[in-house]
Amino acid sequence: MTAVPTIADRKPVPRSRRTSGLGPVVPALAFLLLFFVVPVLALLLRSLLEPQPGLQNYAEIFGSTTYLRVFANTFLVAAIVTAVTLVLAFPVAWLLAIAPHRWSRLLFAVIVLSMWTNLLARTYAWMVLLQRTGIINKMLMQLGLIAQPLPLINNLAGVTIGMTYIMLPFMILTLHATMRSLDPSIFRAASLCGASRWQVFARVFLPLVGSGVAAGVLMVFVMSLGYFVTPALLGGTSNMMLAELIAQLVQSLLNWGLAGAAAVVLLVVCLGIYAVQYRYFGFGTAGR
Amino acid sequence: MLLDFNRLGWIRYLLIASGVLVGIFLLLPIVLIVALSFGSSQWLQFPPPAWTLKWYRQLFADPDWIASFVASLEVAVTVTVLSTLLGFMASIGLTRGRFPGRGFLRALFLTPMILPVVVLAVALYALFLRLHLNGTFAGFVIAHLVVALPFAVISISNALERFDTAIEDAAVLCGAGRLEAMMRVTVPAIHLGLFGAAIFSFLASWDEVVVAVFMASPDLQTLPVRIFATLRQDLSPVIAAASALLVGATALMMLLATFLGKDKTS
Repeated sequence: MTAVPTIADRKPVPRSRRTSGLGPVVPALAFLLLFFVVPVLALLLRSLLEPQPGLQNYAEIFGSTTYLRVFANTFLVAAIVTAVTLVLAFPVAWLLAIAPHRWSRLLFAVIVLSMWTNLLARTYAWMVLLQRTGIINKMLMQLGLIAQPLPLINNLAGVTIGMTYIMLPFMILTLHATMRSLDPSIFRAASLCGASRWQVFARVFLPLVGSGVAAGVLMVFVMSLGYFVTPALLGGTSNMMLAELIAQLVQSLLNWGLAGAAAVVLLVVCLGIYAVQYRYFGFGTAGR
Repeated sequence: MLLDFNRLGWIRYLLIASGVLVGIFLLLPIVLIVALSFGSSQWLQFPPPAWTLKWYRQLFADPDWIASFVASLEVAVTVTVLSTLLGFMASIGLTRGRFPGRGFLRALFLTPMILPVVVLAVALYALFLRLHLNGTFAGFVIAHLVVALPFAVISISNALERFDTAIEDAAVLCGAGRLEAMMRVTVPAIHLGLFGAAIFSFLASWDEVVVAVFMASPDLQTLPVRIFATLRQDLSPVIAAASALLVGATALMMLLATFLGKDKTS
């Protein structure tokens, strides 16, 4: 594959053999094969081979109400988080696209700072905020809005708040990328043609940002499905999510077959959603 | 009109209100951590009854916290160097090479990023159990490198794609060797991409929790692993101090990135 250029073919440098080709990719590729592709495939294989060859791991996972409840909870949390994130992110992304430069830059800095701040530091902050004796409960009680502290942590509410917080910057930035690329003259044209403000919004603006919304929604949904840290720290035992189940099957129960099967399910769902996204929207705005 | 701030009418106030609320929502935990880390109350009262540095003193007096801080730093620096180097070579091949399956390889290099981390963590854990790499420095570096490499490849590939290869060819025509031309013309030209790769790789390793939780042993824990383990037991303000230091480091990185970005435009 590696074509060593000789003096003769150096002069015009024909495009087809200007560089060596596969050569420089080899070290990184070997590394990825050894420490990414092989271990992941091995894990998937174990789901079919352990404790004995067959599909019994999948039968167990789809047959037990305990595991089905984990699946249901995972999808429920991901769906709620995605919906809340979208509602919160949409106006903010819009504001970022049109606000005077100074203000949008300030808001932008806040979003990026929060996104880059260590995940555990942020999750810790929410653990403090949401406790029974935490600041939010204390404030609500002092204001006389509640008589008893609300249970905000180790349950669905805790996971939802914590994960919405983590996902919000991703959604805002994805939506913002789409809105920024819109041409304002389209809206002027629509209103000159007699469209009311509501019509311009519903029939011009929304369809144009539709692809960005879809990209953001799919990305946040997929990321939420596989999340581990925030649900493990802010969730409770009764609403475990899939990633936590996989970790527990491996670490406490040493059940590699079942863990592999759960990992396959998670993987297939995630890759399936990404395939849909790629097919219809491309990967352009997929963020990190 | 919908994209014109001054002609938006009452919707404008709705947008401003949501921007302010979301801004507060995003800032609240960060401000809180920093305030708690300087607060005197062990029970995480807010606002704190008095200000103190005792949590920082406690943090720096504990050899375990120091050890995990150093471990995190060592792992992250090693990962940064390897990731930038491997990422650079891979990007050269991926952006310029002509070989079958290039598109597939490109996708392969980005998959660790879209795969749920827990799947990668469990898969590596199983492999490392056989290779006896769990809880070792090499194990941490390898595991974090898998996570960091896609960021390096994206950053450097983007820079290489914007770079006009004719300039490198010109250097070759002027008598430079291939390697010399690359080192003295291409590398300086894409230095921002390389810096980006280094910063993202460092952060990817520095912040990695999920894979690290599986890799860790009692002897070797990175900072996130120690925070994670401590958080499961109690919410001591010492963690607030450790977290506040992380916030500070992030802010510094952001300033650095902004500074580099400004350098580009001038």
